[in-house]
Formats: sequence, C-alpha cells, structure tokens
Amino acid sequence: MSDTIIDLSNLHLTLASRAGPVSILRDVSLQVGRGETLAIVGPSGSGKTSLLMVLAGLEQATSGRVTVAGQSLTGLNEDDLARVRGANIGIVFQSFHLVPTMTALENVALPLEFAGRRDAASVARERLAEVGLAERASHFPSQLSGGEQQRVAIARALAPQPKLILADEPTGNLDTKTGGLIIELLFAMQRQRQATLVLVTHDERLARQCSRTIRMADGRVVADEKARAA
Amino acid sequence: MSAVTTIEPHHNNGVSLPWRVMRLALRELRSGLGGFYVFIACVALGVLVITTVGALSDALKTGFARQGEAILGGDVTLARMHARATPAERDWMLAHGRVSETATLRAIARRLDGQEQALIELKAVDDAYPMAGAVVLKGGLALDQAIRHGDDAAADPILLERLGLKAGDHIRIGNAELTVRDTIKSEPDGIADRLTYGPRIFVSLAALEKTGLVQPGTLVRWRYSLKLPNGAGEDAAALAQVRLAAKTALPESGFSIADRRDPSPQISKTLERLRQFLTLLGLTSLLVGGVGVANAVNTFIDKRRKVIATMRSLGATSRLVFFVFLAQVMTMAAIGVLIGVALGILTPALLTALYGDVLPVKAEFTVSAATVATAAAYGFLVALLFTLWPLGRAEAMSAAVLFRDELGAGRTWPRLGVIAATALVAGILVLCAVLTSDSRAIALDFCAGITIMFAVFLALGHAVARGAARMRRPRRPELALAIGNIAAPGGLTRSIVLSLGSGLSLLTAVALADASLVNELTSRMPDKSPDYFVLDIAKADYPAVSALIEKEAPGSHLVEAPMLRGRLLRLKDKPVEEIKAPPEAQWVLTGDRGLTYSETVPDGSKVVAGDWWPKDYSGEPLVSFEAELAQKLGLKIGDQVTVNVLGRNLTARITNLRDVKWESLALNFVMVFSPNALAQAPHALLATVTLPKNTPLETEVHMARALGQAFPAVTPIRVRDAIEAFNVVFAKIMTAVRVAGGVTLLSGALVLAGALATAQRKRILEAVILKTLGATRRRIIAAHMAEYLMLAAVTALVAVVLGSLAAWVAVAHVMEIEFSFSWLAVAQTLGLATALIAVFGGIGTWAVLRARPVPYLRTE
Repeated sequence: MSDTIIDLSNLHLTLASRAGPVSILRDVSLQVGRGETLAIVGPSGSGKTSLLMVLAGLEQATSGRVTVAGQSLTGLNEDDLARVRGANIGIVFQSFHLVPTMTALENVALPLEFAGRRDAASVARERLAEVGLAERASHFPSQLSGGEQQRVAIARALAPQPKLILADEPTGNLDTKTGGLIIELLFAMQRQRQATLVLVTHDERLARQCSRTIRMADGRVVADEKARAA
Repeated sequence: MSAVTTIEPHHNNGVSLPWRVMRLALRELRSGLGGFYVFIACVALGVLVITTVGALSDALKTGFARQGEAILGGDVTLARMHARATPAERDWMLAHGRVSETATLRAIARRLDGQEQALIELKAVDDAYPMAGAVVLKGGLALDQAIRHGDDAAADPILLERLGLKAGDHIRIGNAELTVRDTIKSEPDGIADRLTYGPRIFVSLAALEKTGLVQPGTLVRWRYSLKLPNGAGEDAAALAQVRLAAKTALPESGFSIADRRDPSPQISKTLERLRQFLTLLGLTSLLVGGVGVANAVNTFIDKRRKVIATMRSLGATSRLVFFVFLAQVMTMAAIGVLIGVALGILTPALLTALYGDVLPVKAEFTVSAATVATAAAYGFLVALLFTLWPLGRAEAMSAAVLFRDELGAGRTWPRLGVIAATALVAGILVLCAVLTSDSRAIALDFCAGITIMFAVFLALGHAVARGAARMRRPRRPELALAIGNIAAPGGLTRSIVLSLGSGLSLLTAVALADASLVNELTSRMPDKSPDYFVLDIAKADYPAVSALIEKEAPGSHLVEAPMLRGRLLRLKDKPVEEIKAPPEAQWVLTGDRGLTYSETVPDGSKVVAGDWWPKDYSGEPLVSFEAELAQKLGLKIGDQVTVNVLGRNLTARITNLRDVKWESLALNFVMVFSPNALAQAPHALLATVTLPKNTPLETEVHMARALGQAFPAVTPIRVRDAIEAFNVVFAKIMTAVRVAGGVTLLSGALVLAGALATAQRKRILEAVILKTLGATRRRIIAAHMAEYLMLAAVTALVAVVLGSLAAWVAVAHVMEIEFSFSWLAVAQTLGLATALIAVFGGIGTWAVLRARPVPYLRTE
C-alpha cells in the first residue's frame, strides 16, 4: 500500500466572484495511498466538493502541486486532463449524471469507448451484471429508479478500472435503505479492485466506514483522523 | 364541480375576469423578459418586413401623388401614338387650360463623321414645356436657352460619352444636324414618357420637324399636358371632371388620359403587385418565426409549471390560468410588433438616404394606417396561432402532473375550444392574405404552399427523431452521441428541421425561379430570337432596306410586318375600364398595343379555333386574337373588339384564335387584323433581322451604321441591348424578392438560435459529464458537428426538393416558361444550410466547451 495515489502540497484555490476573489481552498496538503478509503467531511462551504473537483482535474488549482496516480495535473490542458480521468479516475455524483439519451449499457460503455477499447460493450455488460442490473441494460435513465441510476453510475465510474474513485455525496439523493445498499456496493467494488476511494459526505456514520477522515473548515484541512479499526 | 363552487364567490366579488387576468399577468411579468428575446425578435422581424414593404410602397405612392404634377408636367395629360392632336382637339384642350405639347420617339443619334451611333429616346418639346418642375442642365443653361434654336439639343451625358463627344459638338439625328449645347442633369417627367432603351435628348418641336423622322406611321408618342386654371388641379373633383369631359368631347381620339393624382397607373399597379407579393413573403418569414414563438412559449410554460400548478391548487380555474399566460405572451408579442413597426417605418427613410437616387421618384417619408394595421394584425395573429396550442396543452394538464418533473408530463391535447380558436386564427390569416391580394389564386396557392411546407417539415422532424431512435448504435461514441441527441424527445431535431427547412425551401424556390427566368431571358433567347428589331421603315423603303442588310450581312433573315400602335377601347361593347381582367391579362387593356394586318397566318403562330380570312377578303373588318389572352378576357369567336388607331375607332369581329410563342421574340401581335381593316391607314413597317450564326460584331456594327446613313429615319434596336435594359430592371426586382425571401432564412436562423439557447444548459451538462468520463474537446466537437451536419443535410435535401417543386409550379404553371434546374442555386442552398448550422452550432459548442464544469455538476 505504499504507493501514493494522491499527493497534494500547498494547494490553493481562489475563484473570482462579483464581490471579488474568494479563497476556496487554502494551503491544503494531503497524501493518500493506494487502496485507502478517505472521507472528507465538514460544513457546507468548507471546500469539500472543491477539493474533490481539483482531484478530478475539473478545477485548476491556483497554486500548489496536484499529483494523481503519479501524474502531475499542474499545467495540463483540458484534453490531457480528460485523458488522465479516462485512464485513472472514476467519479460518482450525487445527481448520478447519466447521459439521458443513452441506455444503461451505453452509459457504462462510454468511458471505455473514449479510451478506444474494442471490448467496451462486453466489459460494460459485465460491470452492469456486477451491480445487479444485467436485466436493465437496455433501459434509459428515465426508466430507472434513483437507486438503479446510481448503480449504473458506479458501474460506469469503475468500468475502466480506475486507480482512484471520487464520490460526491453518492447517497444524497437516495432514501436511507437504498443509500446503504449503494455504499455497500461502492466499498465492495473498491476493495475488490484495491482502488483508492475518496468520499465527500455529511454523514458521520458513513465517514466512519472509511479508513481515514479529514475534516475541512473554511477551505483548510483542520483534522486528519485514521479510523481505529482501519 | 367542487372547483367551480369554490371559485364562484370570486366571480361575484366585483373583480372582472379581464382585470384579474391583467393584474395576475403583470405580477407574473415581474420575472422579466428572459427567454422571450427570441420570441420578440421573431415577431419583430416578420412585422418589420411587412411594415417596410408597406411603408416603401406608401412612400412611393405618396411621392407619386405629391409629385404627380411634375411627373406629368401638368394636371392632366392626354397621350397617344402616331397622331398629333388635330386643331379641334387642341382647341378643346386650350379651352380647359394651358397646354404643353411633347413628342417622344426612339431614334438613332450619330456623329457627323458617321463613326459612332447610338439609340436614343428623343423628346421634342414646345415653349410651354415644362409647366411643372424644371429640366436641370449640368452647364447651368435654362432648357429654352439650350434648345431655343431649331438646331440645338440638350443630351444625356451618357450619350456624349458613347459617341465620344462633348458639349458644344455636333450630332446628326435623322436629316438634322444639331449642336449639343448642354447636358441633362434631371428631367421632371421622365417616368411619364416611359424611358426604357436609350439616353434622352431634348430638342424643340421645330428641330424634330427638321429631322424628318416623323412620317405617317412613325412610332411617335404625342403627349399634351394640361394646366388647369386657378389651381383647379388641386381639386380631385375638377380633375375627374376634366377627364370625363375629354372622354365625352373626344370619344374617338384614342388618347390615354392620366391625372396628377395617379400619374402612372401602370407603375402604381406594378408597385401594388410587388407590395402584395413581398408582403406574402414577409408573412412567410413571420410564420417561420412562429416556430420560435411556439418554442419560446413551450420553454416559458416549462419554467412556470410549478407556478401554474400552485395557482391551480389555490383554486384558479384552468381558464383563468390560460388567460393569465396568454395575456403575458401577447404582451411580449405587442413588444415585438411595436419594435417591428417602428423599425419598418424608419427603413424607407434609411433606404432613401442611402439609395434615394435609385427610386423612380423622390420617396416621401410617410406610412399609411393600413400598412401599420396590416403588419400589426399579421404579427398578433401569427403570435396567437403559435401560442394557443402550447398554452392549451398546459391548461389541459392536471395540477398533480404539473408538479411532477418534465419527463412525467404526457402529451395532452388542448380542449376543443382552443383547437377551434387555433383553426379560426389560421383561417383569418388565410383570409387576410387572400383578401389583400389582387390575384386570389396566387394568394391561395401561396397559403397552400406554406401549409404543405410546414406539414412536410413537421413530419420530417418527427421521422428523423424516430428514425434515429430506431437506429442501431454506431461503434464510434461521437456518432452514438449525435444520434442519441437527434432522437432525444426534447431535443433540437424538430426545431432545426422546421425552422431551417422552411427558410431554405423558400430561398431555393426563389433562387430556382430566378435562375429559370434569367435563363429564359438570356441564354435561351439568342438561339431562336432575332438579333435586331428595325423600327419605322417606310413601306416604299423596305426593298432597299432589305437589300442593304443582305449586302452588309449576307445570309441575314428578314421578317417584316406592318406596325401600328393603338389602344383597346371596348371588348364586346364593354369599355375596357369596366372589365375586370385577371392580373396576367391586364396589360392588354392598358396602354398602346402593337397592331398589324396580314393576309396569311403569321410565322410562329398557329390557328387553334376558327378560320383565317380568305385572300383578298373585303367584308367587315376581322381580327385574329391570341388564344390564351382571349380565354382570360372572356372573348370567343364572333365577339367584337374596338381599337383606336390614329385617332379613329375601328371595330372588328374575332374570326379565329391563335397560339403564339411569345418567348421567341419573333414578330408577334395579340391582334392581327384582316388587311382591309388597316391597310389604308398610314403606317410603317417593323422588321426583325436574324443574322447568320457567328456574325462578327464588326459586321453587325457596320450593318447598323450603313442602315443609319442610308435611311436616317429607320431605327435599328439590338435585341441583346433591349434584353439587357430589361434585365437591369428585372435584377432590381429580384433583389427585392431575394431580400424578402432571405429574411425568412434569417427568421429560421433566429428560431435555430433560440432552440440552441434553450438547449444550451442541457448541452453543457452533457459535455461536462463526458469530460468527467475522459472525453476530449475534439470528441465533443465531433459529436456536435455530426449531429448538426446530419440534421442540416437531411433538412437541406428535403428543402431543395420542396423548393424545386414550388419553383417548378411557379415557373412552369404560373409563369408558363420553361423550368431550368440550377445546380448553383442548390449548391448555394446546401452551402447556406451548412454555414448557418456551423455558425450557430459552432457558437453553441464553443460556449459549451468554455463553460466551467463545476457549477453544473454541483447544482444538478
């Protein structure tokens, strides 16, 4: 577990707003190893999701160093960032964000197709079966329940076997029971692949399931706790 | 029922429904105009075209009426071909006011050395000319100074340039040698003389005499301007009285009479037709913009679903909700109408400032109430037509459905009343279009064409979306994305197909009709039509003229016919003024017609009914009438027609009908008389000359020069030049048609932009998701371009087919000329479609790629 998947040092993120520049992340440094599960918790506006977006390469850090899976994200253009994501990062959102014009199977196949894989369809079918949705492969997102949509989103995020899984409040739009099942699935798949999981959540119970929790306030990491049982 | 009982007390508390509707609508409008910009622009653009067309026509009409006196050179004019006023006629005129006499004819002006010659429009004037307005000369001389002596002239500078001369040099016209004293800057009554072929030359009547051009039968137009005493010309009743008096006192004179209120009825009529046609094109662009209106209303309703549901759950009846939103939408329409009308009113002033010289008269800055009312009515009607249906559908939904998400909302039909209202509005629109057109058949064809066009593209939109949904998913993700988007239920497919398709169809139709007309006028004609018309050949000179042409251009083919000009007075004893002829036959009844006589059936004609008169026929005068016009004017064999030739009325019986190939430009006449009817009247001959193929220009020039030198009174007109002169006018009209047609495409583009803007949020989110999955920008651009190009290709192809069909119907069946397909026009259409979609889609995609992903991922 020694190899580092996430390496942030002195990360700052400042965004422009009408009222002037707003400092979103301040001097964040963080190392996360392979196979680790990390929960990011903190009040609204503390910078949790912004940190996740920087890790995903969807937000460019104002200063500091960002390295994901051994690849520095600093100075990469959008297309290079897209390639890094396609190869190394799977993202699961609170709102699922499935492509509405595509079936469940097509949604899962998409990142594999972007990576130019010839076996996209067959791999996607396997992933869907793993999340228990083999029967729903030809359904469109609008024909699926919220829980089913999130399972498709997980299958899609994990389809290219990413080293890093980022999940932003993955149960936020689901009822408690369904949310529980989704989390179980997410952890199971993470363990199976020995991937690193970074989870943004408000839910302390969910955070406790992770091997490590960082607490954020006002754009800074104010606490970094290792779970005792981890 | 319970809903009704809860609402009932509100009805009775004194606040009337319209008031409540307005109050609620205004409150709702606090959310601003957002999302309605395209709606307003669509309405404004269509209204702008209709107002501009109307305002331009109003401006020209008012200009005509105000400047009528100057255009006519007096209050009333009497004009006729061939015959100068008799002393009795002159006396009658003098009894009614001051009189000015002018004569206009086509002639040839030559350099004294005979090296150069040019066709001119010669105008001889008396001392009283002009009684209104002034002829302005460049050198600053007054007209009577410039042409006071019998052998002086004032000429259009273009003529001097053509002949390589300058003011002060000499020219020869007929037998006279004239000194050009000055050049002409402007002429007040040029339009009244129907200047068409050559540059103008002013001379005195005495100089005209000297030229020797005026012989019995010469095609000279004598015009008499009358200035009524004591300003009576200002009074419409006095003008009408003089016209009536002229008709009563000079019944056989054959004068065509015009007064200053409408100095050129033919031009007024042409302008009116053009206005009607361009208004229909404006209506089309308004209707295409209607798609944008419907889209905007749909988006508006979608955004207000929760508000509607809340209102319904608080006890508002569906009807109240319907009217509240209708009032809001119509307020937006009013803003569009207002903008369109305001800009439309300003356009003629702008055009006059920029291109004022191009217009035949000084346009007056004025707009009639009818123009504004028509444009506004069309604007509101079209907005209403495209608003009722989506509003009706929202009204028909239950509050529970409205609270749910967009996806849950099924398709609902509006209630019967709304469907009936939509049909009624469509009916009123058709009625307006038909009632305001002279040619109801064309207006009806037009409405039918528009309906077919909308039906075809609506169906195509559905078919394309459905076809894409059924397609097997391509392996390439870009294509899969593109096809997925084409198939998406709330996607852009229907909007793009309908808006782009209708704009492109119209443009293709206009371009192909234009191409066919141009082809007919230019490339097709020279093959079979003669090269020269030779006017005013004295009968006695014909053998010598013919011999000279044969000597100069051996192998030339000459056809000659007696040529007189006369006016139709009565058909079947009914004065032509009282005959309501279809527009395409109207020209026969107005102005002078060429008349001829012949012993045998003329070349290029075929008798299709009745019999030709026998040789040496000497009974009552007979006439052969062109078959198609006879049918349009309701004439048949045995009917009598009366024409006035040389100041005498001649009544003849129709004895046969002929088919004539007009486009051959051979010597064709609507009426051919039996020789005994006209042979005794003094007349000249008209001849056509067809030169042998590949005759060098040099030979042609030499022939024309020799003809001019030997027969100064004879005027050769080069057919190619005449066609070119016509083409210049034609090109101007076609530009107006193209602009009006092009606005439809602009409306289509607006709709397209609106639809893209509405979909933009969805597109950005989609692109962001794809980026999170590893898609590069190239892939996203490729997916968008594939989608747009597929849609543009299908739409443009159908538009080309539909446009070609419309052009074929218009060209082959309405105009009755040969339809010729133009690949260039089609290529232009396809190019335009690609360019439009690439530009609008490109801007959209650029914005999609530039958007910051995080806000979209957070809020969705």
